[in-house]
Formats: sequence, structure tokens, C-alpha cells
Amino acid sequence: MKKVAALLFISALAVLLLYVVASMPPMGDPDNPTATHVIPRYLERAEEETHTVNVVTGVILNYRGYDTMGEVTVIFCALAAVLAVLGRERRGVIHGFVDRSEVPASVIVKTMVRFMVPFIILFSVYTILHGETSPGGGFQGGAVIGGSMIIFTTIFGLYESSRRIPLKVRAPLEGAAVMGFFLVGSLGLVGGGNFLTYAWPRVAQGLHPSLVVWLTVLVEVGIGLGGAMVLTSILFAMIREEEEIAPAS
Amino acid sequence: MKMGTALNLVLILLLLTTALLAVTARDLLAAVVVFSVYSLIMALMWQRLQAPDLALTEAAVGAGVTTVLFVITIFKTRRREEE
Amino acid sequence: MRLLHNYHYAAAMLLFCLGLHTVIVRRNIIKKLIGLNIMETSVFFFYISLGYLEGGIAPIRTGGADPARMVNPIPQALILTGIVVAVSVTALALSMVILLYRQYGTLDVDRLMREEEPEAGESGKEG
Repeated sequence: MKKVAALLFISALAVLLLYVVASMPPMGDPDNPTATHVIPRYLERAEEETHTVNVVTGVILNYRGYDTMGEVTVIFCALAAVLAVLGRERRGVIHGFVDRSEVPASVIVKTMVRFMVPFIILFSVYTILHGETSPGGGFQGGAVIGGSMIIFTTIFGLYESSRRIPLKVRAPLEGAAVMGFFLVGSLGLVGGGNFLTYAWPRVAQGLHPSLVVWLTVLVEVGIGLGGAMVLTSILFAMIREEEEIAPAS
Repeated sequence: MKMGTALNLVLILLLLTTALLAVTARDLLAAVVVFSVYSLIMALMWQRLQAPDLALTEAAVGAGVTTVLFVITIFKTRRREEE
Repeated sequence: MRLLHNYHYAAAMLLFCLGLHTVIVRRNIIKKLIGLNIMETSVFFFYISLGYLEGGIAPIRTGGADPARMVNPIPQALILTGIVVAVSVTALALSMVILLYRQYGTLDVDRLMREEEPEAGESGKEG
């Protein structure tokens, strides 16, 4: 009965949505309302206004910086909530189901992972630092670092990987995204502009472009580090077991 | 029909199929793995729609991080759906 | 006819309905979360399709690329942050699922609703 009602409801919703789609303007048309109002201005002037070649990065960090700042705060709050629910791993103790897996990872897998992870991290550093000139940026690079930490942790276990990135390194860096935004935003205030303006009107009319680029890269690095550390901490918090086993010396 | 349109249609068909499989599988681990495939196809689709930033993020987050978090949860709970 | 041309939108709507159906009908919480993730990606897909331009290029101004041919950068910027928020929400939900299983030993919502509160709730009732 409940299933039939749900199916009827979903079908009605699908018909309604498809009806709306049928009356929407054709996809990919340059005259669409989505492509006509503010978009041409962004695309035309992003390079001179934000000094970023990648317009997506310019929109994220400059035109809509407030939005992104709120969003990194949401990520930080999610991490805080996960830690409140599951708790941190403790130092000097083996945790997690990976460490006592019945089938240990073979030598080939271990060697490959040990060989690959530095290159993955190198790639993500490139992605973060070149976010304003090519596809990439803080979120992308941070996610890739998080992925590399996942590979390492699933093969070598939580003990090994939490030795590589100890808690006292991770904990201050988890807020790096929020702090980077706040720092650069406050610098904008000091320079006589508004919060999160990268060009400082009081210091110089039209600041030297390279400084704006450096500030943008600073925020990108903050987002990248913060995102990577948040993902790693979430992973560690979820992977650790409640009962703890002493290290097998 | 142009090549591009054909590729888009194939990708969308794969998206719908994998989503359906992820939703119907009784084995939760299988469902999660199929969902990871769904995310990878979504990343390809985003590259087709000229969004390389998103494709990069989705390939790392959707197919990597989300899947592993689901797998950890299934390891810690149970693998089969209860009847 | 328009529906055939806008097949990206139609696919996004179908995926949304599929995800919503899973969230409503399935009793297993992890299945519900997979459905929620499918709903999220379908909304992202819809946004990016909205910003697409026929024969467009990625919004990166290298090598004298023509800005008039670039796709819309705003949906991409919004969805980029959206993806990362989606994974944090999923992580939070999954950690709560782990806690729930530890407490009740089941992932079935119907059973969870029938289940009595553990000792803390009992003593609360008596007191």
C-alpha cells in the first residue's frame, strides 16, 4: 500500500518535471536567459578584474568569495560534527579494521602504493598552485590529496598513516581554509577596500597584478590544505575502531 | 546523428543503468561499487559538458572518497539488507 | 520535441525521481543515503547542463580563446563547492549510521522505529 502510494507520487512528480523540461528553452542556445545577463560580463572582464585565467576560479574566490567562505565553514562544521559523533584516534595505539585484516596486502600492492602516492600528491600540489591558470584549484587538489591518503590508509593501516600525518600537524591545518579566507579578507579591509577585495584601493590605484595573484594562490593553498586535512580526519575518525589493540611491537 | 550526441546518449544511458543497478542491488557492497562507477561516468559527462574542474573533483570525491566512506560504514555494520 | 532536444535535463529529472523513490521506499539507511547521493548528483547534472553552450569551450582564457563561445562559469563554481559539501554531509550521515548500528544493531528504519529506547530512555521514563 505504502509502496504503491510512493510509486504514484513519484510518477506524478516525474510527469510534472518532464512537462516542465518540455517547456524549457532549448539546451545550448546562446540566447538562453542563463547565458545572457551577467555571464558575458564575467567572461569578458574576469581576466582584468580578478587576474585569473580560469574564470571558474575567479568566480569562486573573487566574485562570489562570500559564498565559498560560507561553504568552507560548512565543511569545517561537518568535520566537527563527525568528530563529535565518532571521536579522534588516539596516539600510539593501533586502530581500525585495516590493521587486523585477515588478508594482508601483498608486496606488489604495497610497493605500488608506496611508489604512487608521492606522485599523486605532487599532482595535487600542481593542481592547487595552478588553479588560476588551468583546470584545478583548492577543492580539486584537496580532494585528490584526500584520495591519496585513502589509498595509503587502506593498504598500510591507520597506525602507519597517522604516523605520517600526526594529529598535531592535522589539527591546526583543518581550519586552514576558513583561516585563509579570513586572513585575505581582512587584508582587503586593511587595504581600504571591502572584505575579501583582492585589489586594495587605498594602497594603490590598481594594485600590481602579481600581488592579487599571490593572494588568490594563498586562498587556494588554504582551501587545498584545509580540504585535504578535513577529508583525512573524517577518514581516520570513521576507520578507527572503538576497541583498541596495543601495537604489535 | 552526430558523434557527440551519440556519445552523450550512451553516457546518459549508462548513468541511468548504473543508478538503477545501485538502487536495486540487494548486496550493499555491490550497490556502493556500482555507485562509484556511476560517479566516474558522471565525471566523464562533466568533461563532455566542458566542466573540467568539476570532472576532476567528481573523479576524486565521488568515485574515491564517498565510495570508501560507504565501504567503511558497510564493514562496520552489515553487508546485506535485512528482510 | 523540445523534450528530445533537452534530453540532458530529462535524464537529470529521471535520476532525481529514482533517487527520491529510493529515499522513500527503501528501508535500509545506507540504501537511502545512496539514493540521496544520486539525487544530489542529478541536481548538479541539471545545473551544469543549464550552463552548457552548443559547441562551447571550457571557461579558461588561454591562447586567445573566444569568451563568446565559453560555457557558463557560474553553475560550475556553485556545483564545485556543492560537491564538497555533499561529501561532508554524506560523511556526517554515515558516521551517525555507524553510531546507530552500534546502539540498536540494525539498519532497517522500520525496526529502528519499533525498537525500544536503550537503557537511558527507559530510566528516563521511570524517573
